[in-house]
Amino acid sequence: MAQTTPELEPGGAIVETPPTTASHDLHESTEAAEHGSSGLTQFEFGYWPGQIFWLLIVFAVLYVILSKLFLPRVGGAIEARAAKIEGDLADARVARDEAERQSAEAAAELAQARARAQKTAADAKAAAKAEAETRNAAEEAKLNERLAAAEAGIQAGREKAMSNVRSLAAETAEAIVEKLSGQAPTRAEVDAAVARNAA
Amino acid sequence: MADPMHQFEIQQVLELPAVAGFDLSITNSALWMIIAAASVTLFFAAASAKAAVVPGRLQSVGEMLYELIHNLTDSIIGHEGKKYFPFVFTLFAFILAMNLLGMVPYFFTSTSQLAVTATLGVLVIAVVIAVGFARNGLGFFKLFVPSGVPFFVLPLVVVIEIISFLVRPVTLALRLFGNMVGGHVVLKVFGGFVVSLGALGALGVVGALVTLTGTVAITALEFMVAFLQAFVFAVLACVYLNDVVNLHSH
Repeated sequence: MAQTTPELEPGGAIVETPPTTASHDLHESTEAAEHGSSGLTQFEFGYWPGQIFWLLIVFAVLYVILSKLFLPRVGGAIEARAAKIEGDLADARVARDEAERQSAEAAAELAQARARAQKTAADAKAAAKAEAETRNAAEEAKLNERLAAAEAGIQAGREKAMSNVRSLAAETAEAIVEKLSGQAPTRAEVDAAVARNAA
Repeated sequence: MADPMHQFEIQQVLELPAVAGFDLSITNSALWMIIAAASVTLFFAAASAKAAVVPGRLQSVGEMLYELIHNLTDSIIGHEGKKYFPFVFTLFAFILAMNLLGMVPYFFTSTSQLAVTATLGVLVIAVVIAVGFARNGLGFFKLFVPSGVPFFVLPLVVVIEIISFLVRPVTLALRLFGNMVGGHVVLKVFGGFVVSLGALGALGVVGALVTLTGTVAITALEFMVAFLQAFVFAVLACVYLNDVVNLHSH
């Protein structure tokens, strides 16, 4: 058993051991390490060169793989996300500004339309009022005319009635005088007398 | 009770011929490094497959890890931290993967090997020194000469600065190594208690239940430690890099 273990020299190099089968060697060297040295396996410097050698190779390979391939990819994804968020924010800002501009435009248009509508309404009101006034004036003139005509008619009727009443009175007076005096007065006398009493 | 140290035993998985007298065979430690790196690769392959604007769960986790380290390099090193981000991220992801894989029963924890943590610590300091010389030339040595120190204590301060710089890889290595070994030993010992106490009859079962609760709690703690140690390693790598990247503003 003992002669199959790697013998350690002070420098850490290993003295060649007689070749054995791999599985045997594995077991035996383990046992030998367990029984042969009382210290920690970590301080058996014979195992150091292989670990250092492989560590440096594995580290170098991992460094190349990570730095050339995966870290740029991960970093790229992070940057792409940041850029996308930044871009989306900028787009949103533009959209918001556009919306604000449109809203201001719409408000101005609304105000304009309202002013126009108010003006139209005022115009229409004024026009209607003017028309109503002219129509009123025309109606009034017509009514006044009719009133005047009616008054004239009434006046004429009254005068006619009055003259009828006078002639009736004259005739009546003539008949009364004739009956009383037996003598018919002249028409002129009767008229004069009626006129004198009617006045 | 099972030997709590048995879990750290190195075993050969694939024997390779020695190169210049060094045994470069693939051991379980190396195998689990490869598995960890493969896991990281597979995870990010899946997480970044779609690169959707609205991320799925996997992509969210991938991006969370990315931004965690990205913020780290950004806030500690500054805008030049971008250059060192892949290095720090690889460190973080690799250590995290090895730590987390170690939490699975019967899996091997490569970061419980001092050889691994020491190599990572030395790697960080080697990169720091390389960056320091590349950016500042001989001005790199100004790192050890803080400004605003009275000249009569300056020699002492310089010595202290040099020592503290040289201790950095040691502390990096020992912190990660100690945390992983300690955590796993404690878990193993507590787990062993559950079994041993459970075999002692009724009272033992009660004790075993208490210990089991503790083991579950420690397991949760160890998951946090696994993440935290990877994060601490990345933070310190950033801090050390910042020292040499922004040397003039020191």
